[in-house]
Amino acid sequence: MKIFERLIYSILNSKFKKFLVLFITLLAFVGSIMMLPSKLVLAKMLPGKSANTYSIYVDTPTGSSVEQTRRVTQCIDGILQKEKEVVNIETYLGMGSPLDYAGLVKGSGFKRSENVAEIVVNLTDKHKRDEKSFMMVHRLRPVIQKNCENLVKGTNIKMIEQPAGPPTLASIVVELYGSNAQKVRKIAKQIAGILKQTKGLVDVDIMQDEIYKKFELKVDKEKVIRSGISIKQVNQILYLAFEGMNVAIKNSENAPEQIPLFLVLSKKTKELSSFSKDALKDKLSSLKLMNKKGMMTPVIELVNIKEVDSEPTIMSKDLRKMVNITAETDLVSQVYPLLKARAKMKEFFSKNYDVKSTHLFNLQLKDKKTGEIYDLNWDGEMKVTMDTFRDLGAAFIAALVLIFLLMVIYYKSFAISGIILLGSFLSIIGVIVGHWVMDVFTVDTFFLTATSLIGFIALMGISSRNSLLLIDFAVSLIEKGMPKRKAIAVATATRAKPIFLTAAAIILASTLLARDPIFGGLGVALIFGTISAVIVSLIFVPVLMDNTKAIKDTK
Amino acid sequence: MSDIYKTKNIAGKLARSFLHNPLTSLLGIFLLLMGYIALQVTPREEDPQIEISGGSVMVILPGATPKQIDNIIVKPLERKIKEIKGVEHIYGVSMHNVGVVNVMYYIGENRESSNLKLYDKVMQNLDKLPKGVMQPIVKPFDIDIDIPIVTVSFYPKDNSNISQVELYERVKYIQNRLNSIENVAKTTLKGEKKQQYNIQVDLKKLSGFHLSMGQIVNALKSLAADVPDIKNRTVDGKLAIFGVKNAIESIRDVKNLIIAQYMGSPIYLKDIATVENGYNIQNFQSTEIIYKKNGKFTKSKKQITLTLSKLKGTNAVVIADAIAKKLDEFKSELSKEGVGYKITRNYGVRADEAVNELVMHLLVSIVIIAILLVLVLGWKESLIVTFTVPAILAVTIFVAFMTGQTINRITLFAFLLSLGLLVDAAIIVIENIHRHLHEHDAVDKDMDDILVEATDEIGAPTNIATLAIILTMVPMAFVGQMMGQFMKPIPQNVPVALFTSLVVAYIFTPFLSRKLLKKPKLHHHEHHFQKNDTELKGEEK
Repeated sequence: MKIFERLIYSILNSKFKKFLVLFITLLAFVGSIMMLPSKLVLAKMLPGKSANTYSIYVDTPTGSSVEQTRRVTQCIDGILQKEKEVVNIETYLGMGSPLDYAGLVKGSGFKRSENVAEIVVNLTDKHKRDEKSFMMVHRLRPVIQKNCENLVKGTNIKMIEQPAGPPTLASIVVELYGSNAQKVRKIAKQIAGILKQTKGLVDVDIMQDEIYKKFELKVDKEKVIRSGISIKQVNQILYLAFEGMNVAIKNSENAPEQIPLFLVLSKKTKELSSFSKDALKDKLSSLKLMNKKGMMTPVIELVNIKEVDSEPTIMSKDLRKMVNITAETDLVSQVYPLLKARAKMKEFFSKNYDVKSTHLFNLQLKDKKTGEIYDLNWDGEMKVTMDTFRDLGAAFIAALVLIFLLMVIYYKSFAISGIILLGSFLSIIGVIVGHWVMDVFTVDTFFLTATSLIGFIALMGISSRNSLLLIDFAVSLIEKGMPKRKAIAVATATRAKPIFLTAAAIILASTLLARDPIFGGLGVALIFGTISAVIVSLIFVPVLMDNTKAIKDTK
Repeated sequence: MSDIYKTKNIAGKLARSFLHNPLTSLLGIFLLLMGYIALQVTPREEDPQIEISGGSVMVILPGATPKQIDNIIVKPLERKIKEIKGVEHIYGVSMHNVGVVNVMYYIGENRESSNLKLYDKVMQNLDKLPKGVMQPIVKPFDIDIDIPIVTVSFYPKDNSNISQVELYERVKYIQNRLNSIENVAKTTLKGEKKQQYNIQVDLKKLSGFHLSMGQIVNALKSLAADVPDIKNRTVDGKLAIFGVKNAIESIRDVKNLIIAQYMGSPIYLKDIATVENGYNIQNFQSTEIIYKKNGKFTKSKKQITLTLSKLKGTNAVVIADAIAKKLDEFKSELSKEGVGYKITRNYGVRADEAVNELVMHLLVSIVIIAILLVLVLGWKESLIVTFTVPAILAVTIFVAFMTGQTINRITLFAFLLSLGLLVDAAIIVIENIHRHLHEHDAVDKDMDDILVEATDEIGAPTNIATLAIILTMVPMAFVGQMMGQFMKPIPQNVPVALFTSLVVAYIFTPFLSRKLLKKPKLHHHEHHFQKNDTELKGEEK
């Protein structure tokens, strides 16, 4: 301890050494902050969580049949069966799987059409398995998409992992607003194209119905009335014949429900020979309607067939027409691919549109010819991340202000309170460097996450206490009549012991946290932040104390 | 220094009043017990409860195109819903025949009143909806009830020939039984096939016999009429009851239904259609399962998934256990019928695992800190500090239980976060006591006085330091959005733990020190490297 006391004393007595301490601290601070923009340390809201289950969403194009969808799911099932860690695979055709947190926001509960399916994959227990579930998803995704997406053209397969934190629609969501529906479709396709090309982004999908061909039957009113048949009758019989209806009910004492009598044309005889107007005409000529007098009229004589495009579902958000384009990230943070894609979009659209940046990363496209305006907003996990980091940042500043006020009340000096604040703020060096070190030593990327920020905020209080101890003791030594420099050196050396002791307690308590996938960021922030806080308060703070006039010799 | 030490602040006052109080040890036991009970009864979940309020309004207008739906249903509805206070986003979906408006409230809005407001708004504007629409359906989101905690998949065993309808009837029965388990809320089936008589008409035969579908419908309707029993009276005033039996007793009755006469002979339904007792073929939804058996995957099997969810604020672990037990009772019975089942989701087990894992972390961390203290301060001192940790956690868990929180990943994370901080107060007190006991003049002083003085001295700086840490946690309570809700247990619990750590340190550390620590008998002197140190340590943090 004597050695340490002498060391501090010698630093305080030499102008050069004091400068050196301040300079090195500044260098370390700037250096660590630079690790963020230089991408040595990557930020993400929450890291991936290894789970015992994941889901696969299959969307064949709107208008596809359940048989086509089934072909895709069978292909996926086949690939999954080769995995040794898979315990069971459940396939839900034409509906969503039982709701989970991910499905809740991804609209899984609303799925009810022939072109959707969800597959739930259950794995062996994560503790007894080497491969983390997100690594497995990462490995299987390209295999599944390559082999199965081509079975039905336009199929979209998404791999859905359990979210570590609050669920979102997707990692990256681009909301495209515009009133010209056709133009919006075109732009959406272009955006999806850009997202697909961006490295790190997968599962790109435009959340809109595909337009497909369908037939429109137009009832010839005159003929219908003349043949003594009502339009309602035509509609009903067509529906009955091809879709089928429950026409009567049988009550039963043994079955849990009433037994309906379901009437429909047999599958074999109602099938069209091909997807064409003539095939449909053929069918409708053999289906006949009877009027009240018992006269039979073939349906085809009452209607005209026209081939038309289907009308897609119209989506709107907050009263404006909108199309969502979604993308997932593949093991990477969504922040960086987003910035890349955004830059590319700006470049791509500037040919035909005036591109303007609006709120945050959002863009506005103005058609150079027509003057139509399209808004392009980012949503999804990206927005949640931005909001969370912003709110945590605000919480952090609020914490700074509160500590400062508390110290001002306690010491009645702005300068001393400032030193304490600065000292605790510098623990950020350890937080960032710690993440970099962990990233170097772990296999997958170690992200700076929301939990790291929470750790950092907690650190503020801890390291302000270190400085508080130091200053408190030094001031009382000076009051006893010790010269200022001597007093600072003695106080630092004496307080080193409890500072080390409490720091050790925090570090030891956090080591187990550091191994956790979610709270790892917090653990690392606490461990490395505490280390840097100890160094800062034992070397940097004494120098500041010496320099300030707020601490004065009593003589 | 022979007179009684005058306490300067709350730390010394607490230490003094509890030092000789016989209730102190009782209080300690009571605290631990309270914490243990709270740990057992507090509902466990994997993720914390996030208050999301919102709902969807569905309006059906048969035959309308998406554009029509958008103009006459969705747009007006959206405008009306916009009038509700607290609504963050409105999502409109206009499809064929159906318009859906999904409403998301700001996170943290009261769920009950939000649901009510939405329902109210829709009902008030019923008159503005176009003609021909069906009654709007208003469905609030309810995460607890909508997200099942357990899903069970029932499937026919390898060599069983149980039909899909029979499987459904078995599962339906089990669903009823499981629904009676306490705190089980909504149960649903996925992929079920219901019994149905299928009449599939051959189009060629239909036109060959010059028949129309309408004739078949009429014939079936006239057959399947159900009438209530008829009450008649006899001459002497007694009741004579008779009723017409439903003409369809079995599938044979349907098959032999006469539709029309053709060239003098009757045409039966079976002549022009295949009639069978089957399942609802018009339902395109189906579920399949593939599972591993003896290291090999089985063939894809049709299955029925039963999903079970729990009531809000109830213990996922207990409910999932009860469900698994109840299913076990059915196992042999089901097996005989050729039905196998697999639990494909169990959030109860997941919650328990996550909680147990973190509790384990907590214990290991406490042991590590204890060892550190043994090395630096001595085993008795270490023991005292180690005791305070469970006491503090016990109070925190109890407070969490009383305020209606659940034990989940984030609550435990808050405990782990505070663990490194909450031993500090006790360490500081014990270190000061330790130092005072080994001082030169310790022999002359009363033991009680030393303990109270040591505690009192460090009161002010410790209070300030702890207050500083609590202050850093408070702003976190104002983080908005989902993430803020998700993290809420941290600002809720860490300040409680820190405050408790102060009180426990002031009350129990001197109390236990009196029981365990002794003044060194001999006036030995430890070499303090600095004379000042001994005098001024009073100002220790």
